[in-house]
Amino acid sequence: MKLNRRSFLATSAAATAVMGTPMILRAQPSEYVLGASLPLTGPFATAGQLVAPAFQLAAKLFNDEGGVAGTPIRFVTEDSGYIPQNALANYQRALATEGTAMIAYFADSTGAMKLIAPELKGENARIMGSTSFASELADPSTHPYQYMSGPSYQSQFDILLENIAAQGGTSVAFIYSNTEFGRDPIEHGKATAERLGIEVVLEEATKPQGADIPTHVTKLAQSGAEHCILQGYVTGVWPQLIGGARQFGLPTRFYGTFWGMEKIIADRITQEAGPFLEGYEGVMPYRYFWDREDAPRYQKYAELSKEMFAGTPMENYMSTWAIQTMCGLEIAMKAIRDTAEAGQELTADNIAETLSGISDWDTGGFFGGPVTMENNSIKTGRVYAYDTETGLFNPRSDWLSV
Amino acid sequence: MINGNLKASYAADERVLNNSYKQLFVYGMMAVLACFATFANDYMILIACKMGILLIAVVGVNILTGYTGLISLGHAAFVAIGAYGVTILDNVLMGVVPEGLMFFVIVPLAVAITAIIGIFVGLPSLRVKGLYLAVATLAANFIVIFLIEQDLFAPWTGGMVGVNTPSPNLLGWVLDTNREMFILIAIIAFASLLAAQNLIRTRVGRAFIAIRDRDYSAEILGISLLRYKLTSFALSAAFCGLAGAMFAYFYARILPEQFELDLSLELVAALIVGGMGRTMGPVFGVILIVMMPEVIKVVFAYFTGGDASAARYTAPLQEIAFGLLLVFFLLKEPLGINQITDRILRAANRWPFARG
Repeated sequence: MKLNRRSFLATSAAATAVMGTPMILRAQPSEYVLGASLPLTGPFATAGQLVAPAFQLAAKLFNDEGGVAGTPIRFVTEDSGYIPQNALANYQRALATEGTAMIAYFADSTGAMKLIAPELKGENARIMGSTSFASELADPSTHPYQYMSGPSYQSQFDILLENIAAQGGTSVAFIYSNTEFGRDPIEHGKATAERLGIEVVLEEATKPQGADIPTHVTKLAQSGAEHCILQGYVTGVWPQLIGGARQFGLPTRFYGTFWGMEKIIADRITQEAGPFLEGYEGVMPYRYFWDREDAPRYQKYAELSKEMFAGTPMENYMSTWAIQTMCGLEIAMKAIRDTAEAGQELTADNIAETLSGISDWDTGGFFGGPVTMENNSIKTGRVYAYDTETGLFNPRSDWLSV
Repeated sequence: MINGNLKASYAADERVLNNSYKQLFVYGMMAVLACFATFANDYMILIACKMGILLIAVVGVNILTGYTGLISLGHAAFVAIGAYGVTILDNVLMGVVPEGLMFFVIVPLAVAITAIIGIFVGLPSLRVKGLYLAVATLAANFIVIFLIEQDLFAPWTGGMVGVNTPSPNLLGWVLDTNREMFILIAIIAFASLLAAQNLIRTRVGRAFIAIRDRDYSAEILGISLLRYKLTSFALSAAFCGLAGAMFAYFYARILPEQFELDLSLELVAALIVGGMGRTMGPVFGVILIVMMPEVIKVVFAYFTGGDASAARYTAPLQEIAFGLLLVFFLLKEPLGINQITDRILRAANRWPFARG
């Protein structure tokens, strides 16, 4: 072909159109993508598999409500096996395949959040929620794009210790799994205990799975602790520790944080080993699913669950783990929708700014009242106690803010 | 009788690419790699970077296991030392070495440190062989990870929570995107492969092969087992250290659990599948080991429609496929994919004559 001015201009225009088209498409995706890593296999597979259906529910709910300013959303979920590097690989894969259509991501562990955090820069930045309540993440100056859908583990420890102090408790033991998840609030807890005049008589690290229960129980007995806070467990170890202590005849009162407060696990333990969890207490940031009289959002979930999960355990009950995920997704969607409504581009910076500015937000019943994001976390919670007869966790305190 | 590959001079025989198919393949791959960063999408770049890093490490394992015949199940430790070495040295030398030169100072240093540690880890190879050596090297993996996780070293290693890593700065060019990192990783991986290929054509490389084929015969011939076994460990560790350095530069944060036994096994598996003691073995092995889980994931997602609940079966499927692949190659083609491609290339080279 002879190259003259006309053909050169035509070729240039065509080339510009071809190269420019993807840019235009990226700016206005036909759907927005929210990625997620879940522990569908590995040590926390029970939790991951109970949480997975929540994404189906969320996709239907949010799309029925109009997605993001009329643009539908889609979830891309992958298994991480609770291995942070797998979650990182999933994040990178989602980023590479979905590009700018992906506007948020959900990680499934503290380790994954910390591993992915430094990757969130420039074009690779996305707002990111997770299952983690790690205190380090509640700092927008170091983790501007990551947020927490509840109080940090440190705040949860504060709530429990203040509750113990209010009951006149004088000694406490901290038993925790030797993981980031387990160790997170320990130093802070010691400082809070000291401030409240409670003596920390034992700090005991255990394996996250298959811990040597008799040894840990013996140490607890030797410490003479009146109260014991368990941290860093999900389905295992904490029930065995309490069972071991009861068999040993210890009068110690046990407490847990969010991940040790699931009814399904407590019910299973009671069914298989007897009512030794009676009186077990813990801090829970959210309302339980059965308490939905004043929670319109929970009512909506219940309605959809009946329709979508008929014949499965999700039909009538949503686990606390799924509630946490739903809360995380609701926060992200609120920030995304508010950003879109304000006419701003859905960049990580804009969404993160909107998210950190959420205040007096009526969540529809997740929490006791309207909430405000403080340091990208929601610092409220309530102490509940397990009743082995009814199989319910009943409130022991009012909604506490720290 | 092998035919169709006539070499009429010593120079032709000594050439690295001693037939036209090898030339076509290698030059073709060089051309593809050179253009890859311009046409590949982000996902392809991501996978290619992972392959490149793993390839450098498998080249290292190949020197020890493939060429020298010493089995190691602890090479992830050397990758860890390289990765943490670069990160720690960057933090320590910040302000002392100009930023633009940092890469050129700390990478060789980290590689040298890894090589020295490799010599220590290789000491048991002078007394034990085979499975016993594998167990001894396995211990090295656990010891290194244990030390990294200790609170004592946490100010440098970050302990169990890991540490953020620097971005490479090449004379002012900061490689802070995967695409830029791909260029660096591709060049280093290619250079590593070339270095390994040339190594076995030297006196040292031939000594390694002699030790692999019969160590006491090699010693009788005057090859110092002490010297060459430890040299093999040092070189092998150095390549893994280099892979570790690239690992640290590629990921923004490193954790000890990224360098555990799984990685060591992955390195050995890639070598077995690709072909031990062959230059291209690591390349084929790495391609298969990295691509297989991705393909399974894509195929599985296609059939399940991306259902989150069904995703739980992907990981076990990947593990089963990984195991089956190893068993298949050990039973059916112990010389790996390299042998299969060799047969194909030979047949092509002799066509239309008998494949032989």
